[in-house]
Amino acid sequence: MKIRFVLGKGGVGKTTVSAAIGVGIAESGKSVFLSSLDPAHNLGDALSVKLSNKATTVNQRLKAVEINTESIIKEYLSEMSQKLKTTYRYLYTMNLDKYFDILKHSPGIEEYAILESIQKTIHTEMADILIFDTPPTGITQKVLALPKLTLIWVERLIKMRKGILSKRQMIKNVRGEYSAVVGDELVELPTEEEKDDIMIELKKYGKELHEIDEILSSQDTTIYIVTLPEELSLFETERILTFMNEFKIHVGGIFLNKVLRIENPPREIAGKIKEQEYVISEMAKRFSGIKITEIPLLESSPRGTKALYKLYKEYIEEGL
Amino acid sequence: MSKNRFVGFFKSIFSGLEESSTSIIEKDLQETENIFAIITTGAFIGIPLPSTGILLRILPYMQREIFVMTKRSKEMDDVFGEIAGMFDID
Repeated sequence: MKIRFVLGKGGVGKTTVSAAIGVGIAESGKSVFLSSLDPAHNLGDALSVKLSNKATTVNQRLKAVEINTESIIKEYLSEMSQKLKTTYRYLYTMNLDKYFDILKHSPGIEEYAILESIQKTIHTEMADILIFDTPPTGITQKVLALPKLTLIWVERLIKMRKGILSKRQMIKNVRGEYSAVVGDELVELPTEEEKDDIMIELKKYGKELHEIDEILSSQDTTIYIVTLPEELSLFETERILTFMNEFKIHVGGIFLNKVLRIENPPREIAGKIKEQEYVISEMAKRFSGIKITEIPLLESSPRGTKALYKLYKEYIEEGL
Repeated sequence: MSKNRFVGFFKSIFSGLEESSTSIIEKDLQETENIFAIITTGAFIGIPLPSTGILLRILPYMQREIFVMTKRSKEMDDVFGEIAGMFDID
């Protein structure tokens, strides 16, 4: 299975490019699963198909979904609330709802939900190609960095947990058992790694993070950057490339969207055209090892599979 | 002093020392459990989290740690008294 992420600033045309790649590859005979992770969804608008949180069949070889991170968070928290009611039998008096309200708005929860949904898609969808239309760069970078950064914490916490369990074991060696008060009851607590639920969960999570990190940095995963011929976009693209290099994620190419080729431009846009030429030449110089594909400013936005396929054939296919 | 009394005398010293060092390990353990809870559930008290994902995974099993943490915060008004008690300082 090959995985493609389409990345870029807000409004550069990520969704159109993702949809066109999806439609084009599906037409070539491969099965494609297209997933929009951007909270401001318009993948359905681009495909001219009504999409939802559940996979929708667009055509024989193309399925698409618009992931609703908010509902993933809600679902996850309500599942956990049920779990807590059964496991927290000694602390049932604690006001857990109060903690959940904080968790809902906890920093990083959105990135966590997006990463979870990427993992879920990778594990459940059996398509030849998975394409992710991502949220604007900032959030996507955080999501892609999350496995590596969280792994560092998980490893440290495992080490700390080992310390806790070994101290419990020391006490158990002297007293014959290790019990401690939880709530109003004296409870026997685990002293071995294999019986400690926290340790089991930390190790399990660490393994999952390792897996997703390996998938992200494998040669089967490719990032395509969509950008505009503007100076700010040039700087942003440069930053994305530095980030991808740091996190060892493979960049397949850059799509330079909305390029306006015009002879004798009117005075009102002459400055813009000059800026565009400067950015095009700078990109060629600065990103010499990366394929840059131009997509012209089109007369109208391509909507529907037919128009997207035309866009794919005319401009995008050569950039893949 | 008979041999038995002699052995008994040292045994009682040893068991006293053993109990006192076990209590110190127990205090240290509680402190580590408390720190573990503070690090992982930091969002509840305004400390930046390592990652929300970690908390979401382990929260269902954190009852002991959360209990220690809340108990410790209630006892925060007499931290020095507690340390003095641990080392038998009056």
